[in-house]
Amino acid sequence: MSEIIVDRIVDCIGLFCPEPVLRTRNAIETVDIGKVIKVLADDPSSEEDIKAWAKHTGHEILKIEKKDGEFHFYIKRVK
Amino acid sequence: MYTEKVMEHFRNPRNVGEIENPDGVGVVGNPVCGDLMKITIKVDDDTISDIKFQTFGCGAAIATSSMVTELAKGKKIEDAIKISKQTVADALGGLPPQKMHCSNLASDGLRRAIADYLKKNGRLDKIRELGLEKELEKMEKGEMDDHGELCEV
Amino acid sequence: MVYFDYANGYPVDRRVIDSMIPYMEKEIGNPSSVHSMGLKARKAIDSVRDKIREFINGDGDIIFTSGATESNNLAIIGFGMRNKGKGKHIITSSIEHMSIINSCKVLQKNGFEVTYIPVDKNGVVKVDELERSIRDDTILISIQHANNEIGTIQEIEEIGRIASERGITFHVDATASAGKIEVDVEKMSADMLTISSNDLYGPRGVSALYVGKGVRVQPIIVGGGQEKGYRSGTENVAGIVGFGTAVDIIRDEYKEEAKREKKLRDKMIKRILSEIDESYLNGHPELRLPNNVNIRFSYIEGESLVLSLDMEGIYASTASACTSKTLQPSHVLMACGLKHEEAHGSLLFTLGKGNTEEDVERLMDVLPNVVERLRMMSPLYRKKKGG
Repeated sequence: MSEIIVDRIVDCIGLFCPEPVLRTRNAIETVDIGKVIKVLADDPSSEEDIKAWAKHTGHEILKIEKKDGEFHFYIKRVK
Repeated sequence: MYTEKVMEHFRNPRNVGEIENPDGVGVVGNPVCGDLMKITIKVDDDTISDIKFQTFGCGAAIATSSMVTELAKGKKIEDAIKISKQTVADALGGLPPQKMHCSNLASDGLRRAIADYLKKNGRLDKIRELGLEKELEKMEKGEMDDHGELCEV
Repeated sequence: MVYFDYANGYPVDRRVIDSMIPYMEKEIGNPSSVHSMGLKARKAIDSVRDKIREFINGDGDIIFTSGATESNNLAIIGFGMRNKGKGKHIITSSIEHMSIINSCKVLQKNGFEVTYIPVDKNGVVKVDELERSIRDDTILISIQHANNEIGTIQEIEEIGRIASERGITFHVDATASAGKIEVDVEKMSADMLTISSNDLYGPRGVSALYVGKGVRVQPIIVGGGQEKGYRSGTENVAGIVGFGTAVDIIRDEYKEEAKREKKLRDKMIKRILSEIDESYLNGHPELRLPNNVNIRFSYIEGESLVLSLDMEGIYASTASACTSKTLQPSHVLMACGLKHEEAHGSLLFTLGKGNTEEDVERLMDVLPNVVERLRMMSPLYRKKKGG
């Protein structure tokens, strides 16, 4: 299993909805298509929110890691 | 929150309404997000001779729609498609960051209206030349929502 | 100038301001100081505790905080963390203020489970569902007395009775209700209660959390141990004194004033609904705060309504100011089952002491035209009208 190369990390630990999605949305525009951002969030509703956002925008969630109450989302910019 | 220019366009929006028998129609946005815009254009000799807008949305939505019609009227379509979100925001003296996305759809609406006009006239080569394939595709799919990342959250 | 946005900011009563000034100019002792000036300050704030206890008919502790948001944080996080050994389940509603909801989320991050009870279309919490969701490990139920956006008043006494029977601590957020309808912790069987100064025409930046006897919380703000260790930081003496004066005044005036505002409220609602097509009331028509008018207008959007009224010197709100940062419609309206576009078209008027019949007339001179102008611009309206 190869390591995912991350171009940008978005740290939303401690922040509540809608900050994680707002910051993810802004960050995805700063990387090239095909590149990956890693979003860190610990808001319990962030999993649902980020998944919905990804479904709606078409960007791809490559992996979600869950550890000690934190979610780490690896998201690839698709368009 | 808003600049005086934005408020001025809000108070006195230009070109409100709908062109009868329009040459091109562009609809964009999503009432779910609180923004929906309809741009109608009259084109003569590849120049936008008249343009009108209808908008459901906030102050920024109305002001940006109004500004787009002001910027586009009288322009050749090659120049009109260059009007971007940033052009509109700059012309208004800036928009609050959270309004840049959702409320600045009017320029997308204009591009769709132009794409629609070209399609109605069978000018697919021109569509390609101006880079409007994406708009055409979305319109054909019935995808109104050009920006909706935040909306379904 | 017609001000219909009291919920977002109350003017401070002149008498309150006058009572505060000495505590800013001369009586500047720190309540923790041992000398006589400190003692004066100590007495001043302690007397306000008595006033608040009397006002809400409670006999527990009063902890002063910087605002209702902080009081709510203390009630949820402070109580939850202190009592997590007894259980880690909290029950609250889907229409609470974000200070309650996000405090619950903080607890969720710390291993708690939270059940958010739904409301019906009028915003009334489903009490039977609440009762059904009680578990052996439920330690806290927190429900607002009334909602600041849609005005709906909850069946608090019934919920309190259930909580009491099951031995579960019951917190009531009375920020929107105090000074409008009766707040009685005994009748409510409330163990904790949030009450805020500004909503009583007192200064902003001061609130109290009532903590009943036998209820344990732990501080969320730590430091020098003021407020019996429950809320550190030098007390806002002038603010607290102002809070106390506000309570003195409102205790005697609120019943009559509520009756007066209710008449204005009902007149406004009746006129708007009858004079403007496709306008609908949000919130319960009867179980409603006397000063709350929340109406949705089809085909148009709330912010543009507020700006249009602003142009005419009339101040209103699109529900809570807190939601304006996000582009989401109010979570309260969504919880009532409204569609997004319906929620986006809502306008909130909150009345207060300064409002008169003339204000209502002025509004009705302007509002129908404002709505019409925005509707003429709206593609949804044109589509509906077949234009």
